[in-house]
Amino acid sequence: MSEPAIAVLGLRKSFGNKQAVAGIDLSIAAGSLAGLVGPNGAGKTTSLSMMTGLLRPDGGQVLINGHDVWADPAAAKAIIGVVPAEARLFERLSGKELLEYSGRLRGMPAPEARTRAAQLLDVLDLAEDAKRLVADYSTGMRKKVALGCALIHNPAVLFLDEPLEGVDPVSADVIRRLLTRYVSSGSTVLFSSHVMELVEQICDHVSIIDKGKIVATGTTEEVRGGKTLQQAFIDLVGSRAHDEEVLSWLGSSSS
Amino acid sequence: MARLLVQLKLRLLTNALRSSSRARVGFIVSTFFALVLAVGGFLLLAMLRGNAASVDLSATVFTVFAFGWLILPLLAFGLDGTLDPATLALYPLRTRPLAVGLLAASVTGAWPVANVIALLGVTVGLAHGALGVLVAVVAVLLQVLFCVVLARFITTGLAGLLRSRRGRDLGVFLVIPIFALYETFAQVVPRLAAEGKITATAFDGVDKWLRWLPPGLAAHAIQDASTGHAGTGLLRLGLLAAIVVVLGALWIRSLSHALVAVDTSTQGSAAGGRALPFTHAGIRGTVAGRYLIYQRRDPPSIMRWCMVAILMIVTTVSTIRTPHYHIGLFISAVIGGGMVGALNANAIGLTGPAFGLEATALTGVREMRAYFAGRLIALAAIGVPLLLAMSLILAIGAGHPASWLWIAPVDLGALGAGLALSSLFTVAVPYPMQRRVGSPVPTTGDGYGGQAFGSVFGSLAGVAIATIPLILVVNFTYSLSASVRIPLLVVCAAAYGVLLGWAGARAAAATAARTLPELTQIALASKL
Repeated sequence: MSEPAIAVLGLRKSFGNKQAVAGIDLSIAAGSLAGLVGPNGAGKTTSLSMMTGLLRPDGGQVLINGHDVWADPAAAKAIIGVVPAEARLFERLSGKELLEYSGRLRGMPAPEARTRAAQLLDVLDLAEDAKRLVADYSTGMRKKVALGCALIHNPAVLFLDEPLEGVDPVSADVIRRLLTRYVSSGSTVLFSSHVMELVEQICDHVSIIDKGKIVATGTTEEVRGGKTLQQAFIDLVGSRAHDEEVLSWLGSSSS
Repeated sequence: MARLLVQLKLRLLTNALRSSSRARVGFIVSTFFALVLAVGGFLLLAMLRGNAASVDLSATVFTVFAFGWLILPLLAFGLDGTLDPATLALYPLRTRPLAVGLLAASVTGAWPVANVIALLGVTVGLAHGALGVLVAVVAVLLQVLFCVVLARFITTGLAGLLRSRRGRDLGVFLVIPIFALYETFAQVVPRLAAEGKITATAFDGVDKWLRWLPPGLAAHAIQDASTGHAGTGLLRLGLLAAIVVVLGALWIRSLSHALVAVDTSTQGSAAGGRALPFTHAGIRGTVAGRYLIYQRRDPPSIMRWCMVAILMIVTTVSTIRTPHYHIGLFISAVIGGGMVGALNANAIGLTGPAFGLEATALTGVREMRAYFAGRLIALAAIGVPLLLAMSLILAIGAGHPASWLWIAPVDLGALGAGLALSSLFTVAVPYPMQRRVGSPVPTTGDGYGGQAFGSVFGSLAGVAIATIPLILVVNFTYSLSASVRIPLLVVCAAAYGVLLGWAGARAAAATAARTLPELTQIALASKL
């Protein structure tokens, strides 16, 4: 069996007394479009930050195409792209300048960075707004330009944290098509989300994280186990339903 | 409502205190300075007892305090987390009790209490007799109330403006003249007064209009009550109270408007059509290009350069037209370099979450060296001409334009030292920044005041020390002919400045390469 594109071994992180990630293991094959799902506060963002070299783990190992993110960050960072949950962008650059900047930071020759920036803006439906400041972009436009920044150096592995949160259906469709096309060429995507329908629709591999631990991982079919992903998720994580009798006053207009 | 909002403010303070040991240090430092203000202010005002100009000076101090209240929430410290009316807009609150609550929250904390204690110095310095002391206490309370209402009125008014990106940009530019005015009151006026350059007659002119401003009314009311003109004193207090009430009413009106005002989104026009500059020069050139664009387009960056220019002028005011003008020019050059360092001493916190994009691309000492060198080049590209131009203007203002030739080397050395220290402080004492509603400029994150103070004073002191050799060389080479001396000084100083800046960038890069994930987390914690 070939080497996994993303291999995570015993990754853990605590903040004070709170254990955010409690030793997770993951193996994502190259060419996979993998989803990492879990409730809010489950440790998705913390895990992705550690996998991309932005947050130092307390222990464990992350290998991207065999390169250890923490022992050899230069080699690992060169082959990954990252789209964070809250787009961290240079607001005072235009979309065009931002993409070009991103490419040049990755060591791409200036003319190539310029050409790719224009092509990405075109595909992402941002060509008309290329000269506007990112500060004036809408949420969907920001997500798209962040995706462009993460893709401009053609990484082998792409990490996305909640890529479609707050994005309108048209922009979401653009992002979805781009990801599918990217994976079909043999590249790998790992993205976190809590929109089960989306994960079920486009992912071939799913991992469910809860309270900092992976509670299920495998192909989407395996994790679903004949149910919808939503139901499988609720069954694994628990619906967290509390005794709703105490809210007997809710919905009454008498008080 | 008042109790609830005071509890909220206290909870915000204690939570900030619990968040980290750094936050605790910052809080202790901030409280210490509040204590210094309380004791120092009290003693300063108390020592005016028997001074012929005590009422004029008290009025000036009262006015300076009012300007402080006006400016500090906008400019520097983001003292109060309850300033944002939008956070309360969803709750079914009536405006009047909300206003009372917000006022009560405003006066909660070490700084407002320190303010009251400091101003109570007038009970010793200005007031005579029981009635005088009584009026003094009421006048101080009214003065502080005036300051609080004024600060709230301004911040609430600006909160509406600050919702849009262009409004926020405009807000930053509004801060620049306010800062210049503040510096005039806080630095120039007291210094000239202390040096006797503001004579009693000159001061009378100022006091003629100062006495009718609310802080002047408070000071003069105490004077009147202490000199047997109780009626006039009470009239002045009544007038001050009326001003507070009118200002309060205006504030309540703007508050009720701010609670329901529409968020005005901005449709920006084309800004960046051309290609990113200097990208052919590797990571160093790319970063320099990005930094240069930011110095031009980012209003807080523009404001920082304006502050450097204003402070260079302010520091020379007392000496520029005297035979000792050269001392002022030296100090101005040192302050110029020191402030460039101090204001850019937290580059990663100031870059904010966008640094995450750079951190995903860069790694290792070599790339971080290129990053810090690029930043250095961009800041020097603006700092060198700015400092040289300001020194030239000041030298011409002093009536000795030729003195620019030996001040220019000090500018270059001081700037090199300032930039070196800014690189070092950026990696050694990084802290998150935040932008509060009501403040158009980024301020230090809650609980990090100590780090900010440390960086500012460290930069200023470091630059002062680093420029001593240059000042000595300038002084010891008087005997040489100007045709030899000036080129020698300029070349040596430029080389010295470049060497310091380069060494600072290299040292900072080595640390940054080691601590990049930690620096990234600081940047991500910035709320800009």
